[in-house]
Amino acid sequence: MTLRLASFGMRGFIGDSLSLRAVMDYTSAFATYLDGGRILLARDTRASSPMLHAAAQAALMSSGCEIHDLGICPTPLAQFATPALHAAGALSISGGHHAAGWNALTLIDSTGALIEPVGGEAILDVYHAGDFIRCDAHHMGSVRNASDLSEPYFTRLAQTVDLHAIRAANFTVLIDPVAGAGCPFLDAFAHTFGFNLVAINAQMSGYLPREAEPRPRSALPLAAFIKHVKGHVGFVLSSDMGRMSMVTETGEPVSEEMTFALLANHVLTKHPGPLATNCCTTRTIDDIAARHNVPVTKTGVGQALVVAAVLDGGCVLGGEGSGSAVLPAFSRGFDGFMMMAHILEAMALNQQTLSTLLQQLPRYHIVKRRIPSEPHRAYPLIEQLAEETIRREGPAERDLTDGIRLDWESGWMHLRASQTEQVIRILSEDHQRETAEARAERAVRWLSESR
Amino acid sequence: MRDTIKVSISGVRGVVGGSFTPQLAAAFAQAFGAFVGRGAVLVGRDTRPSGPMIERAVVAGLQSVGCKPVLAGIIPTPTMLFLTRQTGLRGGIVITASHNPAPWNALKFIGSDGLFLSPNRAEDLFDLYHQQDFPLVEEADLRTEQIEPYPVESHVKAIRAYVDTEAIRARKLKVAVDCVNGVGALYSPLFLKNILGCDVVPLFDTPSGIFERDPEPTPRNLDALRQAVLDHRCDLGFAQDPDGDRLTLVTEQGQALSEDLTLAFSVQQILEHHQKGPLAINLSTSKVIDAIARDHHVPVHRTRIGEIHVAQAMLEHGCVAGGEHNGGVMIAAIHPCRDSFAAMAILLERLATTRKTLSRLHADLPAYHVVRDKLPLRSDLAPAILRAIRHDLEPSRVNLSDGVYYDLDDAWLHIRRSNTEPVLRLTAEAPTLTQAQTLVSDMRQRIETLTATL
Repeated sequence: MTLRLASFGMRGFIGDSLSLRAVMDYTSAFATYLDGGRILLARDTRASSPMLHAAAQAALMSSGCEIHDLGICPTPLAQFATPALHAAGALSISGGHHAAGWNALTLIDSTGALIEPVGGEAILDVYHAGDFIRCDAHHMGSVRNASDLSEPYFTRLAQTVDLHAIRAANFTVLIDPVAGAGCPFLDAFAHTFGFNLVAINAQMSGYLPREAEPRPRSALPLAAFIKHVKGHVGFVLSSDMGRMSMVTETGEPVSEEMTFALLANHVLTKHPGPLATNCCTTRTIDDIAARHNVPVTKTGVGQALVVAAVLDGGCVLGGEGSGSAVLPAFSRGFDGFMMMAHILEAMALNQQTLSTLLQQLPRYHIVKRRIPSEPHRAYPLIEQLAEETIRREGPAERDLTDGIRLDWESGWMHLRASQTEQVIRILSEDHQRETAEARAERAVRWLSESR
Repeated sequence: MRDTIKVSISGVRGVVGGSFTPQLAAAFAQAFGAFVGRGAVLVGRDTRPSGPMIERAVVAGLQSVGCKPVLAGIIPTPTMLFLTRQTGLRGGIVITASHNPAPWNALKFIGSDGLFLSPNRAEDLFDLYHQQDFPLVEEADLRTEQIEPYPVESHVKAIRAYVDTEAIRARKLKVAVDCVNGVGALYSPLFLKNILGCDVVPLFDTPSGIFERDPEPTPRNLDALRQAVLDHRCDLGFAQDPDGDRLTLVTEQGQALSEDLTLAFSVQQILEHHQKGPLAINLSTSKVIDAIARDHHVPVHRTRIGEIHVAQAMLEHGCVAGGEHNGGVMIAAIHPCRDSFAAMAILLERLATTRKTLSRLHADLPAYHVVRDKLPLRSDLAPAILRAIRHDLEPSRVNLSDGVYYDLDDAWLHIRRSNTEPVLRLTAEAPTLTQAQTLVSDMRQRIETLTATL
């Protein structure tokens, strides 16, 4: 299992690549980069998170940091809290959408955004040099429990929506937080927004009761009973509350691509303005932007890049097809609570069911495939596959923002080596389901034969 | 402060902010977890400000190899040793640099038998550490940490059962106790007051780990305690070290006694009132113990320096008591470990049963004078120096089990490397002070001459 180092964080496998040494050195490098000061520490509920929390705490204390410990806390809440508590930065320990056995450290700057690439590279330089700030025994860092942030957080979130309309709608809302960091905050969320909460997988066992990545397949437990409890909407989240997919009132799991699309359509109706998304998000976004006559900035894949583009471009909303969105008027992180609140607002203000709202969006068919591949082979294979695809499917526009994207008249295909797993990800979208599927199948077959 | 790391049977020591990093502590905890195997491991610490930081690193390290950390919090080292055996855990890690200055910290490793690791087992542990190939467990095998709810009760109970608590309580002795801002600050005044019925004058009893006096409980560091004993007209004064394993005494007249005498009075009391049997002491311990042993017709076994060597000799020879020259008293019936709490209890019992003052008891002992000195010396030069001085001495009188021990019947001179600092320690004992001083200063001169030629 490989250790993945991005500019904003470190991911790896427990008992393997994500060693204590790596975690402590990386945390020490972050503390050295910030030159000590106040740092927030958050973790999710995974069985490995308390251990990583202890290791990170030791490293931060050794560098003289003033630790405000948020304990079990979703990453977006830590991002909201960083500027609110005037911290120099925050460290969030969360497996996020990753499978069991994985965990990750995510670095957050003083504004609540993930560390931007220039800062991240400086941290990696310190990490590799191993030259950390180490305080003597009389200048050890301190630890205190941070005050309960759920009240200011949900109060501020409520100010970004028509709270009265949501409360008046008297929704029944199903939430599946995958036994993750969102669990302790669901009651306060339901209380603030005045809905009837039905939560499943809300016990913090330390283990994942289902796949952590929100998508139709992982929505099945919730979809199975939504009609029985007369739910208006179901929300399926990742363990860090950064990603979300939906289930309709009829029990239909919705593609995670529709989360950002529905939010974009709703937010633009209220406040028209530019959007930012990554280069492999559904064309529905482009159509919605065209409908509202606003531009879309395209970036590489990942929260750090999308949020940077949102801030640079003065966007009203940013997001990704993985089921995530950032509302810059509220915070600088992909935020599941924010997404849920705004979907509820869309349903309340339009007085329409979720299925009706979705039917009004331009529809494409997107197919996602993943093919195992060793990292050192993935990059040349993607190059060859792109050439092969153009030869077979006809001339296409090539975009190299992140991986390779090929655009045809009616659809597109995106090829990329995963940053978290040893796989090549293939996305294929088209007006026609058959075309999207056929393109993806041909690519998968070619890869299988070339391995 | 020299930035160095010292790995020895006394544990792993270093300066925090220098080479003693949380990364190092976590890696040693991983090695220890691998060494004892998956299971529960007790973790305790003294009051040093770096303790919480090192504790977090140790917890993570133990978890990563599948152990369950059980936290005893701030706890005396003897209590940790007692509790580890009592609770039947796999082992224990104490985070304490004992008598070293506050910038230092250290890990000490305890086996399931409630003793520090023997030299052979410590070697195995360090071997595992140096291989850096730890048996990391997968997520499903990680265990959460737990807090030990009753860390001190069983230890206190054992001491209470051993001494004549009623006799001590009946005397209502007035006692000053200098806790040196260490673990004693949390426990000693309560122990003396509630268990032994003393009227207590506490000193340096804020458990800050910022030592208001030199942390080594040697007579020259105890001016404040001597003054307190005189000011409050106490029956005696106790001085502990930061982790509560060593004890030094101050008489009712305000005289700080040599640390050897803590053991001398304890041994007298044990042999007279508890149990007769062999004794074990290290090479540097005073001949006064031999004199007491002669009076009671029991043998004395001399060992290398290091608590574990004395403990092993006690177990091997069925000793009733043992100890060290540094104020370490070990009572077999409680546990063969240096224990300032057991020592306080037995000394109060001595005062209670003899109905004599401490200075009277002191006057009754044969007089010996000990002179100690230390000489900074790079660790790598020490073996050559020790080899060279050996040649000047009469072979039949030299014991080489730990450095060079030169026996002169009624006097001795001992030269050895410290286990904890890059120094040579010189100790001499003789019936007169001048004799002892001459032995040390002559040897010091000789070593300085040798060092200059190297």
